[in-house]
Amino acid sequence: MKIKLILFTLIFGFAVSSCEELELKPKGILGEPELFGTAYGVQKYFVQLYMNLPIEDFIYYANNSPSNNSGFNGYMPGNNNYWQAYKNSLATMGGEIYGWNVDLNEGGVGYWPYDRIRIVNVFINSFPNYKSKYDEAIYNSLMAEARFLRAFFYQGMAKRYGGVPIISEVQDPINTPAEELQVPRSTEYDTWKFIYEDLKFAMENMNPTSVSGRANKYVAAALMSRSMLYAGRVAKYTRYLGFETEAAMQGGFIGMDPSKAEEFFQYAYDAGLLIKNGPYALYTKNYPDKATNFANLFLDKTSSENIFVKGYDGLTFGHCYDALMSPNPDFSSFVGAEGGPVLQFMQMYDFPALTDAQGKPVRFDKRSDIKNAMEPRLQGTCYFDGDVLRGKTFSIQRGIYVKYTGTTADAQNGSNAAPINATSNRKLGNKGEKYNNVLITGDHGMFSGRGGENNAFMGAFIRKYIDVNRPTNLVNVNKSNQSWIVFRLAEIYLNTAEAAYELGKRTEAFDYVQAIRERAGSKVTRPTIDQTTNSPYGYPIEAGLQFIRDERARELYCENHYWWDLKTWRITDQVLNNRYLRALTCYYVFDEGKYIYLDEINRDNRTKTASKRAAYEKIPQGEINKNPKLLPQNPLY
Amino acid sequence: MNMKNILYLLIVALLLSFTACQKIDNWEEPTARLYGNVIDKYTGANLLMDQNDWQIRIIDRTWEQSKGAVAQFQSLAVMKDGVYNNTKLFSGTYDMIPYDGPFWPVDTVKGVILDKETQQDFTVTPYLQLSNFKATLNGTNLTLSCNVKAPVVAGLPNLYEVKGFLSLTTFCGNSNYINIAEYNNLRKNINKTWAAEVGVADNKDYTLGPFLVKSGYTYYVRIGANVNALSRRYNYSEILKVVVP
Repeated sequence: MKIKLILFTLIFGFAVSSCEELELKPKGILGEPELFGTAYGVQKYFVQLYMNLPIEDFIYYANNSPSNNSGFNGYMPGNNNYWQAYKNSLATMGGEIYGWNVDLNEGGVGYWPYDRIRIVNVFINSFPNYKSKYDEAIYNSLMAEARFLRAFFYQGMAKRYGGVPIISEVQDPINTPAEELQVPRSTEYDTWKFIYEDLKFAMENMNPTSVSGRANKYVAAALMSRSMLYAGRVAKYTRYLGFETEAAMQGGFIGMDPSKAEEFFQYAYDAGLLIKNGPYALYTKNYPDKATNFANLFLDKTSSENIFVKGYDGLTFGHCYDALMSPNPDFSSFVGAEGGPVLQFMQMYDFPALTDAQGKPVRFDKRSDIKNAMEPRLQGTCYFDGDVLRGKTFSIQRGIYVKYTGTTADAQNGSNAAPINATSNRKLGNKGEKYNNVLITGDHGMFSGRGGENNAFMGAFIRKYIDVNRPTNLVNVNKSNQSWIVFRLAEIYLNTAEAAYELGKRTEAFDYVQAIRERAGSKVTRPTIDQTTNSPYGYPIEAGLQFIRDERARELYCENHYWWDLKTWRITDQVLNNRYLRALTCYYVFDEGKYIYLDEINRDNRTKTASKRAAYEKIPQGEINKNPKLLPQNPLY
Repeated sequence: MNMKNILYLLIVALLLSFTACQKIDNWEEPTARLYGNVIDKYTGANLLMDQNDWQIRIIDRTWEQSKGAVAQFQSLAVMKDGVYNNTKLFSGTYDMIPYDGPFWPVDTVKGVILDKETQQDFTVTPYLQLSNFKATLNGTNLTLSCNVKAPVVAGLPNLYEVKGFLSLTTFCGNSNYINIAEYNNLRKNINKTWAAEVGVADNKDYTLGPFLVKSGYTYYVRIGANVNALSRRYNYSEILKVVVP
């Protein structure tokens, strides 16, 4: 027995011999020659960069608080969509939709993508070594694509922080002294100019076409159009913030000399012209129904209007948009609607009068008559009572007035203190409750004190981007697969219109506005250009320019533009100043058998207020600790 | 081994774990006191404000003498009587600046040496002065009026708003007030240059209201006015007590 054991141990010991040389080269690792030497290799290398581009889409998380989002700095690649993303969206922060009480995160998400920029820089520095392996056109196009990607990351920072350190070479962290690794902030002007140079190169050298999801020269031009418009606004309007005494402004790290504005507006305008003459057209496939046409433009993956999209497949990359924007259980199999459209925005479109000449609420025979005088684009943007989705009909009513004899003002925006709103006259309730055999509310709200389960917070629901073909049982977490449209032609038209107007080309600017409004089905497609100057935000602005800005808010509603627009117009603190988000509420007037619509303050009586510091985000403290040359910090942080 | 023994062993192990790896923090606790007043240049008295409306920023420069360290500012709260007092600071050399208050920007006071107890007063020049404050009660309708004066008009940012603050405690101002739409909507939102709003004069009377108040309550009320600078902090009138019969 013992001998056997010893023998076995010896045999085993010799069989499994030691001192095997294990330092073999792994065979599965792709190095520079494999990646940079062929166009497919480069494509593989770029995928990681495309996945991490700072695109504020369905899954962007403007508040960086929950633990499963830490480290992603707002942008979560892959199927990591946190289901509360839309509660914390930019649309909620900017007051476009209302649902839950979400902090206004002026300080930002600490976005600091120098790791990604390093990946691009490695390519830009080393790719010339492989030039002999390519046709010159292909080589130039790939190099230009890298420059486009780098510009995308930099504009993601410039729109947040102003001037940031410009790193265009690959740093060597081991042999470089710390002082050289610590690059100071550039001025805001130099930062935008750096972005301009990269994009100019990209526009001149990239292919005119590309597969969906990958950039081409028109995509570069679209990014140019948007970022240069931002830069122009920053140059022109930062002086009205009152930051002159701040160190960051004195050093030029935020803001620019107003004389630079024209330069940037011109860049935006030129880029816009290139796209206008390109292969795109406003989406009109579903004419003559302009409302459906507008809704479908966000769903049709072959839309002629799409310049650049970020795709989802609903399997490995999905999002929760459908699950979170429609009420449960009739339209969604998840928690329900997390936000509803705000009345102030609805009333920016062609919207029916709620009050007549005598100051009394207008009487409607049916609830859905509210849509009769409504702009088709608004109907394509929001669901109102009577609209059909996934086989069910929206039914929205807040309550019943036993009688309503007075004026609209008597309701005092829904205040319980108003005499006409005494419980004996105004009946509110929950689903199924009746007053004299008449249902008090609709099937989908508005119920007080309840969440998004079949409940309209604001009297309507969002229609934009809602996938109408998705059956309710598949409306769930990470199942949605609509593409996010990063750039579409209408945005470029509005960018160009604003830049043109700022450059004094007023008539031309309104040509673009007219094209947008014709597609929208607006009553007045080309308003007269009003050059009266007003000062709604503490600085003078022509009414014509204000109209273009408003058109932008209408057309691009809930597409995560408004927050950045407020920031770069320098008016976040002026617009979001004790702002009560208001709801559209429908009541049945019992003794008349008619319906009225009222303008009420949101059910929680909440206001939105932003500080002036919202113009810039806070440079992340952790980065300052590593590199004190990032100081001075942006104002009021 | 029975269960009891296991239990005892576990308890002993637990007790031992409390004593393991103990290390006494030998860094002295911060005990220095820094205090003072924020004085209104025009009245010579302490600035009228609400509790913690804005802060005094201090930076410990002694900390920065160790190589590579970046000192962060700390914020000291100012109380509603214009006094600040902090007794839990480390001794050292500080830079101090009243920041983002309702007054013209002041220079940083450099090299304040803090050793046990230091008083540092600040004299500031308010943007606006509110005087002649009256609260008139007519039944349950409360009307507030005051005179707003801009001692320095040159370079003054836009006059932004004049707002009445009502509170049920003696703390009254932008940090503590009855924040409801019915009251907030009575504020005068101006946002114009002084010349456009007032003209050549350096002062103007404002009347706000009527605020609907409840009988049987005691209100503390004041008016605040601000200009469009930094965070738009308010200059205030004094607080009046209004007893609604």
